[in-house]
Amino acid sequence: MFRNYLITAWRNIIKNGIFSIINIFGLAIGLMSCILIMLFVQNETGFDTWLKDNDRIARMHTSYSIPGQEPFSTVRSAGSMMEAIRDYAKNEIDSGVRFIQWGTTVRQNGNAFSETISMVDGNFFDIFDLPFLHGSKESSFKKPMDLVITEDQAIKYFGKTDVVGETLTFCCFEGREIPLPITGVVKKLPDATHLGINMIVYLQPALFGENDGTLHTWTSLNVYTYFKMNPGISLEQLQERVTYWMDNESPLVDMLKDILGDTANDKSVSDLVQQRVMLVPDLHLHAKKHAGNMGDLTPMGDDNMINTFIVVAGLVLLIACINFMNLSTAKASKRAREVAMRKVLGASRTQVAIQFLGEAIALVMLSLLFALVAVEIALPFYNDVLGTNLKLNLFNDLNLLFSLVGIAVAVGIGAGLYPALYLSRFLPGHILKSSKGAESSSSTKLRTVLVVFQFSTSIVLVIATLVVYGQTVFSNSMDVGYQSDNKMVLNIDSAGDNLESLKLELLKLPEVNAVSFSSESPTQDWENNNNFKLLESIEEGVANQALLFNIHNMGYGFFEDYGVKPIAGRLFDEDYGSDKIVRIEEGNEDKVGRASAILNVTALKKFGFKNAEQAVGKTLETNTAGGIHHLTIVGVIPDIYFRSIKYGVRASVYTFSPGRFRVANISFSSNDIPSLITKVERVWKNSVPMQPINLQFLSEMMTAQYSDEMTMAQLFLVFSGLAIIIACLGLYGLSAFTVERRTKEIGIRKVMGADIIDIVRLLIWQFSKPVVIANLIAWPIAAYMMLTWLEAFPYRINAIWLIPICLGVGLLSLIIAWTTVGGNAARVARKNPINALKYE
Amino acid sequence: MLKLHNLTRVYQTDDVETLALNNVNIEIKKGEFVAIMGPSGCGKSTLLNTIGMLDSPTEGQYIFAGEHVEGYSEKQLSEIRKKNIGFIFQNFNLIDELTVHENIEMALIYHKIPAAERKARVEKVMDKVGIAHRAKHMPSQLSGGQQQRVAVARAVVGDQALILADEPTGNLDSAHGQEVMEMLQSLNDEGTTIIMVTHSPAHADYARRTINLFDGHVVTEDVRAA
Ligand SMILES: Nc1ncnc2c1ncn2[C@@H]1O[C@H](COP(=O)(O)OP(=O)(O)OP(=O)(O)O)[C@@H](O)[C@H]1O
Ligand SMILES: [Mg+2]
Repeated sequence: MFRNYLITAWRNIIKNGIFSIINIFGLAIGLMSCILIMLFVQNETGFDTWLKDNDRIARMHTSYSIPGQEPFSTVRSAGSMMEAIRDYAKNEIDSGVRFIQWGTTVRQNGNAFSETISMVDGNFFDIFDLPFLHGSKESSFKKPMDLVITEDQAIKYFGKTDVVGETLTFCCFEGREIPLPITGVVKKLPDATHLGINMIVYLQPALFGENDGTLHTWTSLNVYTYFKMNPGISLEQLQERVTYWMDNESPLVDMLKDILGDTANDKSVSDLVQQRVMLVPDLHLHAKKHAGNMGDLTPMGDDNMINTFIVVAGLVLLIACINFMNLSTAKASKRAREVAMRKVLGASRTQVAIQFLGEAIALVMLSLLFALVAVEIALPFYNDVLGTNLKLNLFNDLNLLFSLVGIAVAVGIGAGLYPALYLSRFLPGHILKSSKGAESSSSTKLRTVLVVFQFSTSIVLVIATLVVYGQTVFSNSMDVGYQSDNKMVLNIDSAGDNLESLKLELLKLPEVNAVSFSSESPTQDWENNNNFKLLESIEEGVANQALLFNIHNMGYGFFEDYGVKPIAGRLFDEDYGSDKIVRIEEGNEDKVGRASAILNVTALKKFGFKNAEQAVGKTLETNTAGGIHHLTIVGVIPDIYFRSIKYGVRASVYTFSPGRFRVANISFSSNDIPSLITKVERVWKNSVPMQPINLQFLSEMMTAQYSDEMTMAQLFLVFSGLAIIIACLGLYGLSAFTVERRTKEIGIRKVMGADIIDIVRLLIWQFSKPVVIANLIAWPIAAYMMLTWLEAFPYRINAIWLIPICLGVGLLSLIIAWTTVGGNAARVARKNPINALKYE
Repeated sequence: MLKLHNLTRVYQTDDVETLALNNVNIEIKKGEFVAIMGPSGCGKSTLLNTIGMLDSPTEGQYIFAGEHVEGYSEKQLSEIRKKNIGFIFQNFNLIDELTVHENIEMALIYHKIPAAERKARVEKVMDKVGIAHRAKHMPSQLSGGQQQRVAVARAVVGDQALILADEPTGNLDSAHGQEVMEMLQSLNDEGTTIIMVTHSPAHADYARRTINLFDGHVVTEDVRAA
């Protein structure tokens, strides 16, 4: 019996030739999309679930939303918060730990490596129970400056894992090298973790002064704070407790009154500053929404992107299933006789239905095999686009294997159920008596509805792709306000006192035209903000009130190098000698420092100046470099986009504080980039010995800003292309079938005087109708979706563009449908009608 | 009206060559009612299709209304065909998805006749063949005789001067066959030229002239007195 089914199934696959190919090909592509996306999703989910007690560990994130100021969020928090909250919420919190991430250099055997070490509170291993290879959490982490490293770091530096007792030398803290003995080695962390840490140091609070901006602060957000909750406490309870403390007990209550004055009365702290907790396993995918435009310990996942691609993969698969349904019901009349005979011979409806379901599942399984091959072929490209290292390892990953088989069976049932029920319904008497096909008009209608669905979906996908692409191109090509060509950005964090000699040596290179220092290069943004108070009162302006501004520090020549020209006043200029902020020494706190500031246009407006000229000569008061400074506004520049234009321009104050310089901006003119790099590296080696170089091209940094969108656009392009191809295959199959079914009608029409053109037009119109309807459905949906998506961008392509995109995609879909159907139509229209009419 | 001169039609299949029509010479005048008879496979349908320009002769000449049409392109033939010739088939060949009205109207659509006129003409011809009350029905809802009447209506609605009927009664019982024959008779009385293939001597009697085919040859021609 079963064998008989299998034989019929196989013969049907063979006999249906082109239809089977369409089905198998479509399903294989659909399944391939699903597998590719499943691999990605698998890679992005399940983070940190391997951690012991992961459901009890939460991290606290900070958001500021102070009226009149740009909202600001980060996954970090202020250094004083952890202890205060832990001691207050004893009922909820078992313990807490802070991380301070410190970028440093490890020197070993004459080599220098950049490393980020994590300075953590001593109870780190009580909360994060990482498995020790050598040493133990009791013995290895007893006192400040104990150093535990991961197995991969041990191998990197010593070529073995048992390195307890060896020493690593870090450079430099307060100008001194610090040798630290290794006290323990933990296993390499799994890939699925947000904890990107590999050198863990027992925090020595004494390293940080009493009034530092790291450990002892309520407002500077420089540490990562984790709490381990007591058993049975939910995240909501913890959140409630933290918020209560913020609103009623924290020092921020008084600070709020100080800042806002009387207007603070009807506000609670949590209206302005939120401390939000999130469970560790959620961090990878969900921390992004708390992170502002700042990063995390490891690159963050994007649950939006994942959800989008799950939907897209589902749609591609659905489109393939619809092909299967359409072609099988269309072909049903051909198999009506077989069904009738089986029933006459005693098969029940259920048996017949199961037979067809089985056939569907067999076909899907066959497709799955092709899909797996296709995945293997596509994976390298896919990994390239996503920047991942996904592998298909079916036999090591039984979960994956079973879920794939599960999906295949589900798809088989999903695609085969309707045809099975439909086919098994045929009444033998009816079929065997009449020579006519058993095709009912309701099944024809359903097919049309499904084709409309396929095409609407594909069209929405294509429109979405074009909009994402358009926005990405637009973002990339937008005028950022500065000249970005031929610029290199050299990190000078570790250059110490060698800055001036470094600059001189660089300028000696013939290719180097200019070198200027700054706190960040364009595209970098460390979210430095400071309060500024305008001292002179101006008409309709905001004088004598502290306002928060974004702050950047630039040296002489920075703006000139980037081609930024002042619209009023001047740029920083050595000849004036008065621009530099000088640190106020301890003991002289009552002195007021004097220096210069430059505003951008947005800041100009925020202060309420009528024009740029009015601002020049006015004074800003701020607390920086050890005390109060009065800064004379010497110039105003146009808005320039330091950040990705995704985030818009903020009100910015540019000052000249050499202590804050972190990069050298090198302007060059050379076509021999590799030799230039070598020369710069040599200069670095000579001027800053024993420090690794960190050199980047600005053009690459700028491209990287849009890499998420670019990835999204590329993947969208591929998957919507696949969707269209599958839908067209389906349309081709249906048109071939329809043409076959309508041969007689076409013959009659020809006899009645229809030309080839008339026939082709007739068929094309029949297939154009669903495509036209699909467009009318897809346009508003796609337009709504994409307008919503675009809202996230402060600078976006004009909504008007959607009209030509929709019309263009509509036309394209019609042309594709016409070429698909046209071939079949022309073939049959050219046939001699008598052949069609002779026999029924 | 038309003249076949030394007409030959050879079917070439993989290895066999079938001589379906062999040196046929026939002339048919305007207003004639001609029956074609002969055993199965003797080439009746081939002859009718050739006359109807659905098939082209292998050799010989075909003169239709004074024009030599042998070398005409498919497009030219289709033009002549739709102006002059209506077809009736044994299996009716109505389009299942269209109503009676639409089936008949179809013949006019390809004549590029305006909608209002089409409607008037279709209604007139439906009256004539007595199926006006079935205008909205689908072919499957009609009896065979009714379906063949629709086919007749479709064949004449374009005012074609020549009607070719291949066994128009072959699928009908005798009563319905009679009905259709009477309709053809009355059309012929109004001046339409009719060429009909039939196996029924009784139905052949409606015609003035009977051409007997055997193996692609014209064997005899009987002319019945008016
Ligand atoms: N398309 C074709 N290809 C090959 N041979 C054909 C084709 N059409 C008809 N024939 C052959 O030509 C000969 C004449 O066929 P035709 O259909 O004209 O016969 P007929 O007289 O109409 O027969 P019947 O009374 O059965 O309808 C037959 O031998 C037939 O097999
Ligand atoms: Mg015949």
